[in-house]
Amino acid sequence: MFAKEMLKQSLPLLIFCGLGGIVAGRTLGEMTDLLKNIPGLIVIIPAIIALRGNISTTFGSRLGSAYHLGVIDAENMWNVELKQNIIGSLILSFLVSITIGILAYSITIIFFDLNPNPIKIILIVILAGMLSGLILTLLTIIIIFAVFKRGYDPDNITGPALATFGDIITMFCIFGSAIFIEVLL
Amino acid sequence: MIYSWKRIVRYGLPLLTLCVLIEIFAGTILQGGQNILLKIPIFLISIPVINSVGGNIGSILGARLASGLHVGYITLDIKDKKMHENFITSIFLGLITYGILAIIIYYVALFSDISMDIGLIEFILIILSVGILLIFIVSFASILTAFLSFKRGLDPDDFVAPVVTTVGDTMGIILLFFIIGVVIV
Repeated sequence: MFAKEMLKQSLPLLIFCGLGGIVAGRTLGEMTDLLKNIPGLIVIIPAIIALRGNISTTFGSRLGSAYHLGVIDAENMWNVELKQNIIGSLILSFLVSITIGILAYSITIIFFDLNPNPIKIILIVILAGMLSGLILTLLTIIIIFAVFKRGYDPDNITGPALATFGDIITMFCIFGSAIFIEVLL
Repeated sequence: MIYSWKRIVRYGLPLLTLCVLIEIFAGTILQGGQNILLKIPIFLISIPVINSVGGNIGSILGARLASGLHVGYITLDIKDKKMHENFITSIFLGLITYGILAIIIYYVALFSDISMDIGLIEFILIILSVGILLIFIVSFASILTAFLSFKRGLDPDDFVAPVVTTVGDTMGIILLFFIIGVVIV
């Protein structure tokens, strides 16, 4: 009875998130040549995806709480609270992206005896981190706005939605940034 | 104004940096096994799926435990029956989800002309073995985090998701290489 209810409610969402994972994985599968050519690229992938997931879900859940506290709603979206949240999320993305780049560069040298171009790997992380940060911040605001309009509870919707689209968008951004930097440098 | 970007950055940075450090470790393992992944790219596609399902199931379990502890129908006891039921349902839920997604991944890879030296049954068995072990570990992490944070008077909702996704990502990758090593090499 209890297990049946949990299955009925969770399974469709799990499968849906899993399908999102397949799209992200398929993108990763397309990147085999890039992974061969840019040593250290694969090291940064789990970290960027985790960074993105972490920042956007906390951003989403803070906006959810702000809604419940009554400081933000559909008529009064673009206010100082939202702006502070956006600035905070983007600064976090930038700081942690640089950290990831430096760590990945050092690890590739120390453990794998490969010599990646430090500028390349750090630029890829910053570009992918900031780009996916901007897109996902915008997406979160759009989702939250749509949820407010309908009067739903944002806490029930933003988490799974961001988890699914976040992985795909982040993987696209890593792919795009790696190609861009590889062509540029 | 209740939010300030400075506070968002100051509170977010420590946990985020810790998560990213562990994820870089996961990335380092990926770099170490990169040759296997490039040789059999179907496993490259599977990585985001394995990680997202593991993280999601752990988070669902954690959220259910947190609500149960808050409301009081789950007690802080290793022998708690409701907790056991939730744990067993998670394993069951994981088996079904990983089974369905393994079949989808296999056919996605087959139709996108990705080179495969692996049969459907063998692939499903590998994903299921990784999946069930991962869910065991993630569920333990989830129960432990929920119980420990609640015992200290903290809100489990703040801790379970980041801990579980980080543990899930790292262990998912380690288990995948372990099982591939046992079955194929």
